Amino acid sequence: MDGKVIVVTSGKGGVGKTTITASLGAALAMQGKRVAIVDMDIGLRNLDVVMGLENRIVFNIVDIIKGNCKIKQAAIKDRRIDNLYLIPASQSDDKNAIKPENMIWLTNKLRKEFDVTLLDCPAGIEQGFKNSIAAADEAVVVCTPEVSAVRDADRIIGLLYAQSITPKLIVNRIIPKMVENGDMLSHEDVVEVLAIDLIGLIEMDDLVVVATNTGTPLILREDSKAGKALQRIAMRLNGRPDLPIENPMIKKPFWKKLGSKFSRKN
Amino acid sequence: MKFNTLLKKLMNKGDGSKDIAKQRLKFALLTDKLEIKTDTLGNLQRDLVEVISKYFEIDKESIQIDIKRSEESSALIFNTPIIAAHRQQGIPMA
Repeated sequence: MDGKVIVVTSGKGGVGKTTITASLGAALAMQGKRVAIVDMDIGLRNLDVVMGLENRIVFNIVDIIKGNCKIKQAAIKDRRIDNLYLIPASQSDDKNAIKPENMIWLTNKLRKEFDVTLLDCPAGIEQGFKNSIAAADEAVVVCTPEVSAVRDADRIIGLLYAQSITPKLIVNRIIPKMVENGDMLSHEDVVEVLAIDLIGLIEMDDLVVVATNTGTPLILREDSKAGKALQRIAMRLNGRPDLPIENPMIKKPFWKKLGSKFSRKN
Repeated sequence: MKFNTLLKKLMNKGDGSKDIAKQRLKFALLTDKLEIKTDTLGNLQRDLVEVISKYFEIDKESIQIDIKRSEESSALIFNTPIIAAHRQQGIPMA
């Protein structure tokens, strides 16, 4: 059976797309899937450093499209996690070096080799975005609880619907204390505004920066809340869509929990 | 510190900035969706003129096309003077 192609996208930059793509890929591979992650950000590649594979790049996606190399030559195998491969972006080419039909061709080849192909979409709605969604079966939209990120997510969701893709939402970088104080949009607010289904909630986690610093997969860290949430999102993508979504709101001490139960007004 | 935040929460409940964020966001998304591409109105006018010209002789220069927005709704307003109606071509089939 052919594998599926999932695009991770957001519209706005800097909301955590690349980290989430890398972590979902790693988690899916650890759950036994054969996974290829493709960096679609031609000219501004980053997935390689986040995954800690930057020293092993020989060929890239543009080389594959131009026929300079075979897919197998460009795909870098992760040595820490079995069945995980990265196809890096080109750093020197123009973003117009690839067209949607090239991506459809490439992903059709990847479907034969991999159970899941994850596309790390660049920010914006230009060529890189068009290339990414042209080839995708499913989409995950990432947004943070901020006005600008939610607005851009709304635009992206509209464009995905136009391609007959119904996306799922990840709300990233939730700061429970701020939500509790009414100074950050809650995930309920975000879902209400965007009117799409959630696939996961990720709490702000300092370990993400640490993992990126060292290029180690976040999900290998047992103590990472974000890593845990991402593992569960991967399970939902991997045939368990009904796995409950954990709410990262502050875990209160017992007496406080009891108190809030009595004082809750809604 | 903990007591202070508790006190603050009791004093001004639901006064956080997120309500403002949500309000602004809802409004922005609404107006974003009503925004029309610059050449859309031009194309629409050209097509409308083509269709209407089949039935009426109109003054192509004095056509006005506009979108009126209010808080609840938006309307497309198309205004054209008719010079004459075209004669029906041929005899209608009985």
